[in-house]
Amino acid sequence: MIATVVGSFPKVAETGIGTSVMRAITRHQQGELSDAQLEQVFQDATRTVIKEQERAGVDIPSDGQIRWEDPVTALARHVDGFEINGLERYFDNNVYYRRPILRRTPMRKRPIFLGQYLFARGCTSKPLKVVLPGPYTVVAMSDDRYYKNPRPFLRSIAEILNEEARTLADAGAMLIQFDEPALGFGRPPMSAVVEAINIATEGVKSKTALYTYFGHLEGKLAALQRCHVDILGVDVVSDSRTLQAVNRHTWKQELALGCVDARNTSLESITELHALFDVIVKRVPQDRLYINPNAGLEFLPYEQACQKLRRLVEAVRKYR
Amino acid sequence: MLLTTSVGSLPKPDYLIAARAQARKGALSAKELAKLEQQATREWIAFQDAIGIDILVDGEQYRGDMIAYFAEQFGGFKESGLVRAYGNRYYRKPIIVGAVRRRKPVTINWWKFAQSLTQRPVKGMLTGPYTIMDWSFNEHYRSRRDATLALAKLVHDEAHDLERAGCQYIQIDEPAISTRPEEIDLAIEALGIATDGLKAKTITHICYGNFEGLLPKLAKLPVDQIDLEFANRDFELLKLFKGRRFPKEIGLGLVDVHSHRIEPVEEVAANLRRALLVFSPRQVYPDPDCGLKTRTVDEAKAKLTAVVEATRIVREELARPATSARAKPARRAGSSRPRTSEHV
Repeated sequence: MIATVVGSFPKVAETGIGTSVMRAITRHQQGELSDAQLEQVFQDATRTVIKEQERAGVDIPSDGQIRWEDPVTALARHVDGFEINGLERYFDNNVYYRRPILRRTPMRKRPIFLGQYLFARGCTSKPLKVVLPGPYTVVAMSDDRYYKNPRPFLRSIAEILNEEARTLADAGAMLIQFDEPALGFGRPPMSAVVEAINIATEGVKSKTALYTYFGHLEGKLAALQRCHVDILGVDVVSDSRTLQAVNRHTWKQELALGCVDARNTSLESITELHALFDVIVKRVPQDRLYINPNAGLEFLPYEQACQKLRRLVEAVRKYR
Repeated sequence: MLLTTSVGSLPKPDYLIAARAQARKGALSAKELAKLEQQATREWIAFQDAIGIDILVDGEQYRGDMIAYFAEQFGGFKESGLVRAYGNRYYRKPIIVGAVRRRKPVTINWWKFAQSLTQRPVKGMLTGPYTIMDWSFNEHYRSRRDATLALAKLVHDEAHDLERAGCQYIQIDEPAISTRPEEIDLAIEALGIATDGLKAKTITHICYGNFEGLLPKLAKLPVDQIDLEFANRDFELLKLFKGRRFPKEIGLGLVDVHSHRIEPVEEVAANLRRALLVFSPRQVYPDPDCGLKTRTVDEAKAKLTAVVEATRIVREELARPATSARAKPARRAGSSRPRTSEHV
């Protein structure tokens, strides 16, 4: 049983990193801060939030996605063919992202996340997970004015993500995670999604994970079992239908259980977490289980994010 | 016809931003701060009067944001740490820690103050129960529904106090409605409680959503007017309303509040003409897309002026005899303006 995170960490706090990242972004936009100076602020904050995860006792931390302005722009900004557009609500959250418009064939010119990964790896002796947006979520969050058809769009994004994942794995990343929150909503074209995930993970030497969160997975899990990934992440907090679906399936992959609510401050008790673990270990043995919050921690204030992580680690250690 | 208004918040002048920071550190008394908030309110009322806006707002110079302000005044809330909303913008997301209650009227004194400064009507500005619930953490109520309905009663009392004070336009913003279309019935029920028995004109503002699934339900919201942002997405929203009779008034967002670009008057007028191919002039209240508080004072003034001047041009066209009004076709000049990828 391994304690981990989904990815994002608060970029703003009362103490510690304070509003340094926010101020740096503003000053960079206004031309008062150079690229190198902004990079320095990102690096300092990244180091801080990795240490924070270590202090909480997390086994596999992430870099906290401090540089990610939002879950899709972080990729789209560096892929030729996208134009960054107006604000849109990020699924069912009071958080916004810029909806990219696809105008031409998407092309990756150079590695996008490699530099960030190499820096973050130097900040910790623990194994670090690298998070990438999943192909379906990129497609669902974008405005496709080029293909006007999800299938070829999915395929080309999956190919770009595959190049990215191979580069990261070759550089030594031990776990590469694809985030697919969009799978929780509506009726995704599951066979095309599975095909895209399998393109994205093909030939990647590291361990791979597919993380879903928000919405629910009812009617989608059977297809997801066909994904060539080592770990499948599910959010059993947002909608009770997901846990019901998990309990109906024979589990092939390792399971990452999103069980601490990253979107509400109310702190889970050890007792309720252990009751949930008792149900889950009947489906998946302990040594194939990852325990994490149900989503990135950026939805919480910094203090509560740390509190929740400490509680999660405590629940895992006592259960082990 | 085509009464101009704005959505609620207006930017705070530099002296007020500095004063709020001072007050937060304890270096400025509440009384001193209130004096500056009044000064800024006076300036905004005078500006709106000067450019000839028909229905004014007080500009919310005394509010941090639309949720925290009410959470601070109501009982049952605790202030939380900072949470990022997007880009470099962040806010304090309140936590519901106990039963919510209204200890005393929240907005009435500010509304009275603003109304005393002008002959034109000033809108009362409230945040809706569903949005307060959705934009707060909840550690007390068992369900989102319980929290929303408890808040609806407080908003009802506040709205009735505004009406008793003489307020003719009461806007109850529900921007969170578009977040979870599956909860729209809860939002409708809660807004029904909030507006129950009001004779004043009621308005609700909704933003940032995919309205395709929401449209039939929008007509069921228990208010007289729905205010939506049209400029933000190049007036694509108009397509949804085309060919059907929308039974409510429409607050028509004509300028983008998230862009530094000041829309030229002729472009705004062209977009208003496009909207009038879909809505009747009696139905439409031109305004900016959303609250202007994220703009600078100068940008906000320029955008409001563009709305008012464009509306004046179109009103004059409509007032002319039918033949000459038709001679001026609804141009599409503003339909393909460049999009910028600015950050606020």
